[in-house]
Amino acid sequence: MTWLLIGGLALATFALRGTGPVLPRIPETLTQRTTGLAPALLAALVMSQLVTGGWHPDVKAAAVAVAAALAAVRAPLLASVIAGAAVAAGLRLLLHAA
Amino acid sequence: MRRTLLAAAPIAVAVGVFGMSFGVLARQVHIPGWAAVLMSALVFAGSAQFAAIAILGAGGGVVAAVLAGALLNLRYLAVGAAVAQVLPGGPLRRVLLGQLVVDESYVLGVAAGEAGRPDARTVLTTGALLYGCWVLGTIVGVLLGPLFGDPKRLGLDAAFPALFVALLWPMLTTRRAIRAAVAGGAAGLILAPFTPPGVPLAVAAAVGLLVSQ
Repeated sequence: MTWLLIGGLALATFALRGTGPVLPRIPETLTQRTTGLAPALLAALVMSQLVTGGWHPDVKAAAVAVAAALAAVRAPLLASVIAGAAVAAGLRLLLHAA
Repeated sequence: MRRTLLAAAPIAVAVGVFGMSFGVLARQVHIPGWAAVLMSALVFAGSAQFAAIAILGAGGGVVAAVLAGALLNLRYLAVGAAVAQVLPGGPLRRVLLGQLVVDESYVLGVAAGEAGRPDARTVLTTGALLYGCWVLGTIVGVLLGPLFGDPKRLGLDAAFPALFVALLWPMLTTRRAIRAAVAGGAAGLILAPFTPPGVPLAVAAAVGLLVSQ
């Protein structure tokens, strides 16, 4: 299972990175079309992670809001990640104590 | 050469730390340490690797994990085509050199080159440097991972959505991208609670393609 994961992702990435340098005339309609893929997938990943346990409030939503705010002011990627984890950990500590 | 490395240094450090966090989080979702390191060495694509392990961590299948990672890497078709004219050598050599073209090395190459012609040397040297940092960082993260204990106590489970939203934000510069993100987010929000983890992503990919025509 682990081999399928690593092998599959490695082969797909190798092929995608190797195609452009030898076939630069990829039709623009195709590359235009695919520009929407990354934002749609990332947004779906964010939302899925928030509601996998069902539609109820989760401290992770606050973590995402803080991470997005930091990204909006062009903070480094890692600042968003660490702040997000810290917010979730802090809120859990507070809710647990209350 | 020296100027190239100086310009790349801050990014190299960031990539190393990013690799470390990949190693740590991979261990949290029960990926063996050697597998996380091998994945970084063979795939060398941050967002795709994080997406794949997040799906596995949420109980998704391997096929869904690979597909999500591959779809996120589709952008490299366009990026590879953009550097095609400046890469040296025959087809095989160009395919291999193309593996060093990642988001960060491409951006530095564009900054160092002229309009429409990214600087090939910058792309390739920084690509190689970042590759080393990414793999080394993953090794360190894998070794540190077990020290973190319960992932929820440190909020490590929130690190995934925080990372994905931070990767998403800079992409929201066009109406098309915003439409795609809203549609994809809606797919995740509606479907995730009652479908296996691959389903919301497949629907998001479909609506992402639909709204960007």
